[in-house]
Amino acid sequence: MHNNVVDRSKDVTILELLDRVLNKGVVLTGDVVVSVADIDLVYLGVKLMLCSVETMNQLKSGKSLEKESNI
Amino acid sequence: MDKMIYAILSVKKKSGKLDALLATLKGISGASLYAVVYEGIIAVVSDIEKSDLITDRSNAIEYASIIESLVQQFPLLPMCYGSLMESTDAIAEMLGRNYTELRQNLKKVENMREYGLKIFCDPEKLKSEFQAISKNDINILIEPSTEVKNSVYREYVRNKLKEHRLEESIMTYVNSVIAEISGCLARLNAVCKFKKMPSATIMVDAVFLLRKDKKDELLKVVNDLKNQYQKLNFVLTGPWPPYNFVDTRIK
Amino acid sequence: MMNENKILFDTGSLGELSKELGKLTDKEKSKLKLNPDNAESGLAKLVMTLVELIRKLVEKQAMRRVDGGSLTDDEIERLGETLMKLENKMDELKKHFNLTEEDLNINLGPLGDLM
Repeated sequence: MHNNVVDRSKDVTILELLDRVLNKGVVLTGDVVVSVADIDLVYLGVKLMLCSVETMNQLKSGKSLEKESNI
Repeated sequence: MDKMIYAILSVKKKSGKLDALLATLKGISGASLYAVVYEGIIAVVSDIEKSDLITDRSNAIEYASIIESLVQQFPLLPMCYGSLMESTDAIAEMLGRNYTELRQNLKKVENMREYGLKIFCDPEKLKSEFQAISKNDINILIEPSTEVKNSVYREYVRNKLKEHRLEESIMTYVNSVIAEISGCLARLNAVCKFKKMPSATIMVDAVFLLRKDKKDELLKVVNDLKNQYQKLNFVLTGPWPPYNFVDTRIK
Repeated sequence: MMNENKILFDTGSLGELSKELGKLTDKEKSKLKLNPDNAESGLAKLVMTLVELIRKLVEKQAMRRVDGGSLTDDEIERLGETLMKLENKMDELKKHFNLTEEDLNINLGPLGDLM
């Protein structure tokens, strides 16, 4: 019973960490932010770009399209 | 060979403190960490092959650990995982282009830490509680004033209106909880950001930025809130590097 | 370093939080994947998401009008008919493209979820 609580605490810590490091923080150029009157409306993140490049590379090498991450 | 950036730091004067720290740490794939300097701000970098950049759990956690080690000693802005640039020159140029904003942002987070508060509710209980309140006045508006048969369309509107009023009542409640939290945290000089109902069970997802020595006061505030809102569950995590308080848009 | 437990305060929702965070770090949810196999349905998803957003906004605004009490019986009747038909049509389209309510809620990065 105690083990369960400790494991879940660890899980939550790791998941909170991953949510931050993968989805937040400073993002480099390559983002597309569509804004109207200085109000940001639509965000296309860098990760979307990374996906496309990877997909393209896989297509070039003739490999079948595989899932790109193992999280 | 690309360069991976972990964080952007501000360093007060030329001391060997940073280099000493970097010497004790290892980057992704065991690469060594080094600093790219532009006046008072520094990017912490390691060399990486693009093919090594697999987004798997252990790499991301390793990356975050480095940021965690750095934040103990320097004001910093954490980079999102996957921040690559082609060369140290490109990095220095990027720092230069964004110098003013980065400095401002770094000043804002100096000696601060981020904390996350998630507040959970039971959506069914919440709905039944607020349904009871708005039940009485539901019929007033859409009862036909003359002899009109009760059509399927009228019934549709009636149901939608019920839903709508329920949502509004719940949102009013959520706003009141957020107002209460903001008030309490203003006394701690904290910056707050809130997300309302990001999921059915998470009623509020909040992040706070406050001085690192205010941790105990924050705990007391959350404890008081727990006593005030007995039907809700609170989970507070932290301290974190300021991931949610980087407001610099990199040009 | 990362074995450090960051949980400062918890009144019993760790299991729930664990589940929700799992969804956030799940690659399925946040990426709008376009590849040759599903390019068409990927685009359909994007279009449907926008249409659904507009439909929900229109519905919300309509309900505010009804709540405000300024509509006649006739207007309420016609509103009901239009909204109902719109919703039914969307349900049809969702079935046709095999999309669920969840599918149409894309993640907008720092702006959070669309709906």
